Amino acid sequence: MARIELQQLHKTFGSLAAVQELGLEIAEGEFLVLLGPSGCGKTTTLNMIAGLEAPTSGRVLFDGRDVTKVLAYHRNVAMVFQSSLLYPHLSARRNIETSLRHSGLGRADRDRRIADVVRMLEIDPLLDKLPSQLSGGERQRVATAKAIVREPAAFLLDEPLSALDAALRLSLRSEIANLQKRLGTTTVLVTHDQIEAMTMGDRIAVMSNGRLEQIGTPDQIYNDPATLFVAGFLGAPPMNLIAGEVEAGCFRGIGFSLPVTAPTGPATLGVRPQDVRVVASEVQGALVARVFALEHLGRESVLIVEADKSTKLRVLVPPSFGARVGERLFLAADPERCLLFGAEGMRLPLHPAVPG
Amino acid sequence: MKRTGFLAVALVVALFWSLVPIYWFCRMAFLTPLEIQHYPWPLIPHAPNPAAFYNIFGFRYVLSGNLVSPASGQAAQIIRGLKDSFLVSLIVMVVTLAITLPLAYMFARMEFRYKNSLLFAILFAVALPPVSTLIPFYAMYVRLGLAGTLSGLVIVDLTLTVPFVTWMLIGYFRNLPPIERLAWMDGYGRLAAFVRLVLPLARSGVAVAAVIAFLFAWNEFTYALVLVNGTTANTLPTAVSGFLHQYPEPGNLAASVLITIVPPALVAYFLQRHVSEMNLVDPVR
Repeated sequence: MARIELQQLHKTFGSLAAVQELGLEIAEGEFLVLLGPSGCGKTTTLNMIAGLEAPTSGRVLFDGRDVTKVLAYHRNVAMVFQSSLLYPHLSARRNIETSLRHSGLGRADRDRRIADVVRMLEIDPLLDKLPSQLSGGERQRVATAKAIVREPAAFLLDEPLSALDAALRLSLRSEIANLQKRLGTTTVLVTHDQIEAMTMGDRIAVMSNGRLEQIGTPDQIYNDPATLFVAGFLGAPPMNLIAGEVEAGCFRGIGFSLPVTAPTGPATLGVRPQDVRVVASEVQGALVARVFALEHLGRESVLIVEADKSTKLRVLVPPSFGARVGERLFLAADPERCLLFGAEGMRLPLHPAVPG
Repeated sequence: MKRTGFLAVALVVALFWSLVPIYWFCRMAFLTPLEIQHYPWPLIPHAPNPAAFYNIFGFRYVLSGNLVSPASGQAAQIIRGLKDSFLVSLIVMVVTLAITLPLAYMFARMEFRYKNSLLFAILFAVALPPVSTLIPFYAMYVRLGLAGTLSGLVIVDLTLTVPFVTWMLIGYFRNLPPIERLAWMDGYGRLAAFVRLVLPLARSGVAVAAVIAFLFAWNEFTYALVLVNGTTANTLPTAVSGFLHQYPEPGNLAASVLITIVPPALVAYFLQRHVSEMNLVDPVR
């Protein structure tokens, strides 16, 4: 188990800055998820933690010790690569054994460890098969076994579930989270799937364009996003983002206004679909919109309305809600649940705390 | 229906194209000179005899009726050619692999300065017509004392096999899954990962590269003709071409051609599995 620190990490490929000014700390035994769209630098970050790629500048620390120049193997981390990469020409057993090849353990110790992981992951019948003879889920299990058998200081998982079908992803998600808690090993998982991030991570680090946008618990990331990017990236259906302007203590955008105390200038108002209500008649500051579509999800429905030609808003409504396409509706947002973002995408306080 | 018809026609043409010359040489190799001259030619030898195969290796053969088929005048050349061809082809094969495997792997998996220019240099070497370098090589070899030596021939063969095989292997290595990352995590160094894990995984590519290098050296004729023919170093194709300048011995010529075909045919037969594997297993997983 290890505490991992990244300090001022930079990585450039040619003229492309893949990771910039990245600093974060991963506590011992923590499950951290690096979340972001493809190309945001999350895999590069993972590779730098693993020691597969050298940072252009900055430091990587394990338990306070600088390991920036230490080779991957000697960092004692284990990695599960994208699509559960295994040696294609070796059987599952040989794949697992290779992890211990340089460990200096005796034959008996190695056999005991392998027997342990085999039992833990129930992969006994798969041991003599080649990776090409395994299904996606089985490969994932074997790759996990290969990682665990080393009893590493940290697990690094690079989109381990991305190549699997949805049902399998669902079951393996909880399996990985459960395994991580049982072993208590510091784990970093890279994914672009927000549901994976929300369900598995103790904390989530959201990245975009090589920068860390926000790090926090799933709850903080979801309810208290620090930037416009985080607000828009997390949540399904996504948060409604309304472009507008703050003028004289009031946010105005597409025929809708909300009193705020924020500096004057362009701004974006964000409100989650569950925080918008359909109201009976024109109340103060209500928004007029036309029904565009109604999506039934079973437990609830998503009402999609057109506030103007370019702005569609989503509202969560009970499944009994009925609406005709083209119908006029009035919407009201819960002002306490609205988020305001400035021109640079940084979060602005709606009502700055009054001193005293 | 129409498609299978076309397929049948194409198949017949292809078989005809490739098998008839072989059949014709087989037929000639087992006939006596007298029978070959006979008209109409016998399509199948009615009394096949292995005389030509004895003759080209320097032995007499007594035919029925106490006719003697004498040893061929080319025998010494053929024997030497067979030996030298094997030697040259094996050396070219081994050296080509030793150079191209690490070279192609580096191009496929590592980033370094001038990589693209160097790739172009390799492609350019493949694109150059071999004959265009014949005379420069000859002039150079005479000065260096390499003309008429097998090492000279090996060097020339390498100038052709190395770029070609490298070019071919780069694409192959690129398509292999990135297992060196796994290997680094498992404590292998770069070299150990390449030798112990990547090469075994890439055995199809290695086999095909070996075949290409071997066949290339085995079949090479132009350079061998100019650089070593008529000396004590000689390869099989030039030895066979020597029949051109002799009293006609069609049976012996045919027999020599057949023994020239046998090794590459065997090599191709045993390694074709790998050739097809190279395309089938697109190992991106």
